Amino acid sequence: MRPLAQVLLACLAALTAGCEHAPGYPGSPIVRPHEVADFDTLYDENCAACHGAKGENGPAIDLANPEYQALVDDATLRKWISGGMPGAEMPAFAQSAGGMLTDAQVSALITGMRTRWSRPSGFSGPTPPPYAQTQTGDAPAGEETYQARCSACHAPSQQQITSPDYLALVSDQALRSMIIAGRPDIGQPDWSHFGPGGKAATPLTAQEIDNIVAYLASLRNPTQATNYAPQQPDATTPAER
Amino acid sequence: MQRMKQTTLNVYAWFERRLQLEGPVKDAALHQVPRQTASWWYVFGSAAFTLLFLQIFTGILLAMVYVPSAGEAWRSLNVLNHQIPLGWFLRGLHGWGSNFMVAIVLIHMAQVFLFGAYKFPRELTWIVGVFLLLMTLGMAFTGQVLRFDQDAYWGLGIGASIMSRVPWIGGGLVHLLLGGPIIAGATLSRFFALHVFVIPGTLLLFVFVHVWMVLKLGVNDWPMPGRVVRRETYMEEYHHLAHTDGIPFVPGAFWKDLIFSGAILAAVAVCAVVFGPFGPSGQPDPSIIQTVPKPDFFFLWIYTILSYLPPQMETPFLLIVPLLAIAILLALPLIAAEGEKSWYRRPVAVLLVSTLAVSWGVLTRLGTTTPWSPHMSAWSGDPLPVNRIHDATPLARQGAVVFQVKQCRNCHSVGGSGGERGPALDTVATRLTIDQLRFKVVTGGGNMPAYGKNLSPSEIEALVRFLETLHPANEPPAYDASRRAVEATQAAESAGEASRLAPHPGSTP
Repeated sequence: MRPLAQVLLACLAALTAGCEHAPGYPGSPIVRPHEVADFDTLYDENCAACHGAKGENGPAIDLANPEYQALVDDATLRKWISGGMPGAEMPAFAQSAGGMLTDAQVSALITGMRTRWSRPSGFSGPTPPPYAQTQTGDAPAGEETYQARCSACHAPSQQQITSPDYLALVSDQALRSMIIAGRPDIGQPDWSHFGPGGKAATPLTAQEIDNIVAYLASLRNPTQATNYAPQQPDATTPAER
Repeated sequence: MQRMKQTTLNVYAWFERRLQLEGPVKDAALHQVPRQTASWWYVFGSAAFTLLFLQIFTGILLAMVYVPSAGEAWRSLNVLNHQIPLGWFLRGLHGWGSNFMVAIVLIHMAQVFLFGAYKFPRELTWIVGVFLLLMTLGMAFTGQVLRFDQDAYWGLGIGASIMSRVPWIGGGLVHLLLGGPIIAGATLSRFFALHVFVIPGTLLLFVFVHVWMVLKLGVNDWPMPGRVVRRETYMEEYHHLAHTDGIPFVPGAFWKDLIFSGAILAAVAVCAVVFGPFGPSGQPDPSIIQTVPKPDFFFLWIYTILSYLPPQMETPFLLIVPLLAIAILLALPLIAAEGEKSWYRRPVAVLLVSTLAVSWGVLTRLGTTTPWSPHMSAWSGDPLPVNRIHDATPLARQGAVVFQVKQCRNCHSVGGSGGERGPALDTVATRLTIDQLRFKVVTGGGNMPAYGKNLSPSEIEALVRFLETLHPANEPPAYDASRRAVEATQAAESAGEASRLAPHPGSTP
């Protein structure tokens, strides 16, 4: 065979073999939105806006906190993701509750969070209080504990959390989870540490946490959490009002 | 060797005696054309002709795999893309061939217009050409529908709703177009028949007539200022020119056509390899609402115009303007059959073509870049800039949650991501005081809906506390001077009150 023909043949072979690497080779077919099962895609499309890219530095609780992952069980995560959290801003995502995710996709989110963000020993130090409240809290006692243990950082000017507006948007359970697990991404300590630096301190007891939550709940103004009542149409013109 | 040659010649002679094609073919190939006509400006028609045959060839190959059924079409396109060797390249050739063909046909038309080639005796050639343009656009649209994906589905919906606006017979037209009241099984079969039989068949017939007239009437002479077309003298002048200063069409002018057509085919192939086939995007299913359909490139300008038109103008525009435009195109050679051909003496023609070209470019660009739709997944998918979260108070941070959950982000970007329907809010606190922010959120204004009834007082408070933090580090937020003055007075008064009430040191209770 002549050299030119050999070169041409080699080029043709290379082109045909490499055609799947051509820049124009189409990507995989686009699957239906409810068939997406990849955790990263699901998380980035549904959760990242509030819980932050990679589960931290968002305005809502940091899911990448291993202590939070250790605190909350699968059934509870599923309950919040599927149906939303009453009393908080977390919306419902399951199709059964008007959202866009199938049950399989909610499971994929839970499994993905566990594999990425759980640590075998979620809490390295003392045993944490239970996730859910077990006894009724005592608000006056909670105020004393709050003043003693919390108010140093949560001063009115800076990190005030006693504002009724703030409390109207956060549920008791969300307050409790944040007190126990902290928010390491924005430098806030968990229940067993003191101050943003994270020095070890005497851990809060389960009773103390119940009391603090009861105290904060007592500061809520129930009318502020509801929408304005619809106006009754009236006959007066704007000028007469 | 000698015997083989003789046999071939004998076979040729056997056929020629019966077909008698040699004479006409020789006549067509060797007819004299004016020397200046052998120009690079005259290659677009033959390039469109070549592309038509590329489309027929690739289209036949595609039709061997494609399934024209609403349930199967999308899957068969993915089979072509991923399971048939070089199927993706074939789809790329057909898709890019279509874009090139529309472009070349339009360029050909602009060139013919500017060169005055539609004047006597080529009026009918132009009129047939106008129908060829319409059929080419019809092929592009029906082809886009056969690529049965979300863009096709919703594009067809738009086409049907345009049809439905025709007075009295709108409903009937939609029924005819879709094969029923909705986009369903019969729709795709109907478009397959249009795209594969009806339009190409007519197109080929019209192309034959078009080319026949080009051969019979001769290629247009090069326009010279002052060489005026008159019905009485033109034919004589043309033949004189072609015979005194002419060359045979083959090879004199033909080699440029060949080279240009080859280059266009190569360009189509390069585009197919580099940019790949078009789509298919997501499945054509109206229950999938996570979609932002857009028309193909050549119909983007219509999309832009419809977006900008006030609603009451839409129907008159859609129903009158296209008819008017087609009527003008068809009437043009009949109205202006005589006179100057040269663009030096036809300023209106030059201005018209340049205005249309610039308008088309601007409208297409606007159609590509203008953010008409909110980003429907920004509220749940676009994280906020980290420093906005770290430096915020708990109330403002909760306000950021409200900002996302109430989907403000779908229209307002922060940190470069989010919707673009409303203004970006990165520095909103330098423009609006907190009272103005509150007012805006509650009452809306401009394009923004009022959120007063959709947010609780606490949500509004948290939201504006978050918005108040959206200012550059070196630029303080806007504030209301009168409010500060009142606050300062109140502070002074309460301090005075406090000092008056406080027991004076040394005083006895």
